[in-house]
Amino acid sequence: MPRIQLACLIAGVMLSAGCGGGGGDDPGPVLSGPVTIDLDAPPPTLLSDYHLFAWDPAAGFTFNDRVVPYDLNTALFSDYALKQRAIYVPEGAAAAFDPDRALDLPVGSVVMKTFYFPADQRAPTQDLQLIETRLLVRHADGWHPLPYIWDADQHDAVLSPAGEVRAISFTGVDGSPQVSNYLIPQRNDCQGCHAEQAGTGAPIDVVLIGIKARHLNRVYDYGGAVGPRNQLDHLAELGMLTGAPAAATVPAAYDFRPIEASGVSALAGAELDTAARSYLDINCAHCHNPLGVQGMTSQLFLDQANADLFHLGICKRPGSAGVGNGGFTFDIVPGDPDTSILYFRTDTTKLGAMMPLLGRSLTHQRGAELLHAWIAAMPMTGCVVDL
Amino acid sequence: MQFARFTTLVLGSALIAGCGDDQHPSTFPTTDCSKITGTCVEVEGTDSTALQAAANSISANTTIVLGAGTFVMTNQLTLRSDGMHLIGQGIDTTTLDFGSATTQVNGVDSIGKDFLIQDLTVLDAPKDGIRVEQSDGVVFRRIRSTWTTPSSMSNGAYGIYPVKSQNVLVEDSRAENASDAGLYVGQCQHVIVRNNTVTGNVAGLEIENTQYADVYGNTAEDNTGGIVVFDLPGNPIVGRDVRLRNNTIRNNNHANFASGGTVATIPVGTGTFAMASRRVEITGNTYENNHTGDIALISGLAVEPSAEKWVLPTASLSGSIEGLDLMSAATGTVMNFRSENIVVAGNKHTGSGTMPDTGDKQALGPLLLAYAGAPVDSVLYDAIGEGPSTAAPTNENHMCVGGNTGGTFASLYVAEQSATSQVPFFRPASPFAPFDCTVLNGGPVAEVVLP
Repeated sequence: MPRIQLACLIAGVMLSAGCGGGGGDDPGPVLSGPVTIDLDAPPPTLLSDYHLFAWDPAAGFTFNDRVVPYDLNTALFSDYALKQRAIYVPEGAAAAFDPDRALDLPVGSVVMKTFYFPADQRAPTQDLQLIETRLLVRHADGWHPLPYIWDADQHDAVLSPAGEVRAISFTGVDGSPQVSNYLIPQRNDCQGCHAEQAGTGAPIDVVLIGIKARHLNRVYDYGGAVGPRNQLDHLAELGMLTGAPAAATVPAAYDFRPIEASGVSALAGAELDTAARSYLDINCAHCHNPLGVQGMTSQLFLDQANADLFHLGICKRPGSAGVGNGGFTFDIVPGDPDTSILYFRTDTTKLGAMMPLLGRSLTHQRGAELLHAWIAAMPMTGCVVDL
Repeated sequence: MQFARFTTLVLGSALIAGCGDDQHPSTFPTTDCSKITGTCVEVEGTDSTALQAAANSISANTTIVLGAGTFVMTNQLTLRSDGMHLIGQGIDTTTLDFGSATTQVNGVDSIGKDFLIQDLTVLDAPKDGIRVEQSDGVVFRRIRSTWTTPSSMSNGAYGIYPVKSQNVLVEDSRAENASDAGLYVGQCQHVIVRNNTVTGNVAGLEIENTQYADVYGNTAEDNTGGIVVFDLPGNPIVGRDVRLRNNTIRNNNHANFASGGTVATIPVGTGTFAMASRRVEITGNTYENNHTGDIALISGLAVEPSAEKWVLPTASLSGSIEGLDLMSAATGTVMNFRSENIVVAGNKHTGSGTMPDTGDKQALGPLLLAYAGAPVDSVLYDAIGEGPSTAAPTNENHMCVGGNTGGTFASLYVAEQSATSQVPFFRPASPFAPFDCTVLNGGPVAEVVLP
């Protein structure tokens, strides 16, 4: 009978004697060799041991060979955290294109996302504090999630399965002071979003969310000799993506940046619908899709593919929403966002009522504004309320 | 041991002395790993950091034994492996306290087969107390889920909450002060709920979209509604074969403090309702002093009047609908708003129905408007699906109260209610013909046997 004392187990990185552990020995951020992914070894304690990228407050992020940064058209809101994303595909292998689902990345690939806050959101490249880097490493049996938390001196990040809740203060885009109760997810939380299931009781697979053609189909400024280039085209040119048609022929999600900068007042009609559906797709559909482990319970499907108005929430009563309904009856009341549960839950900061479930403690003002405008623009049909 | 090394390497925080010491008689007075078969880890009482480390590092089929004391939790305890067993030192001895959590989390949140939680209290979870999803083989034993402040709308929704699971046992536990349901079995199959106490919740004990449930020996007291059974529309499990027997359901007169949803429509003082339900037996229970009434048998149209929202494609269903006489909207679909094939027998009724809650907010209220001061009957039926009140009463839905000789019965023609006229009602004497049957069509509900 294996018997383990946890008091001993948590003794820590710096303690090498007594509890049988050793620490990592690579203190610096400098890339000291090629990317190292050993799928047979326990995961490294220190993020720098992968040699995926280096971070320096003056130079910013430096990516190793075959590690390609990317960005999304519309991104998941995480309390205004900024994110540096990148993928690594091993030499001699390539991701396979898919028009709808996530790109199929080969074994040995890594998808990484670093969350950081500038002291002032109006100066997004200055006074940066790196919080965490999340890795998804592709093994033969699927994706393995590995959360790393950056140390106080910002030299390296440490594998931290237990996660943390941390109050982070910053100045918002409007100049107001903000405090996020920022959730660094525990390892088991990864499946809260990165999970898919063919049906109740079926195996739960860890899946990618953002690495889909529609989200990636945009220009990224790679700097240097490459400069601005479409991300899908660039990955194909590097030989890291196969089977992709020219990006110009691939549907793209809506680019949220103009909304973040200027609001939604200029949007109308089909463009408003496209923007809102892209926002729901990336912020909600990781659960709210027919394969979503927790979303299937609600029967509310906010993925790009859903064309059924009832499952989109129109005049639909929630399942077991508890306090999440805000006193309202229907997920979406066309033309009336202020009595629509979907708007209430994405706007509120009430514990127990907020959506998404994980990773938000502040209101995404522009996101809520978009959903409000989207519901307000729906023809007012009324929902049947009573006997 | 690879696991031990992994954990040691990755967790850098407080250094706790006594690494080699594996004797903790004072903090593990009831259970320690020596009493557990299989892989086991002990976590000292109060050490929430070590608890989170354990939960996120151990592999499947491991028991975590929690020491005596209060664990102050800032994040939910998330379990995502099969065979996770969580055992404390007792309901009053080991507490997981989520009162200082600043993010919206559940208390204990588990997805994985073969889950057990035993001998501890979960306190002040921002969302649900203990949520167990998609498990096959679930045991809740001698646990308590509660919130410090009674009647607070900001209390979490559900206390003890197994959902979408099979082979579920909830016993000898307590669920208190939930702003929705204290003990909520949702979308489960093969369930035993016995000898629990639910108090101070909006809904005490709910059986929702669940098949094959045996609910007995429980006490529901001081909730808004005591023990209820229902289906919600659009859910792929059609509830069936539920027994409520030998429970005590009394003084469920708590003000309704739900912020919304189905439970916000429960009238204060409700003992039991069965809504959008079939093959239900309500027998041998003791009902006492529930101000609105003891038992209501209601169509699902009471909360969702649009029949089309109850349409379910047969191909989408989980669980068996064999032998059920479900309505159908079109080939390849069923609808489950109808309540039918229910036996109510041998219950004791004392002192209830004297102050019915007919508030406008309550969608179930129209059932009660017919009573102006008179005590509400022990068993009420909304007669939806029966012939008109002007013709001889029918029993198309096979509602059987013939064996409930200790109570009274009335069917209220709710569908005929209008803004200007009272609900017509039919109030036969025992044995309540044509509702005098005593056996379910298809035979009694079979005993639930857990593996």
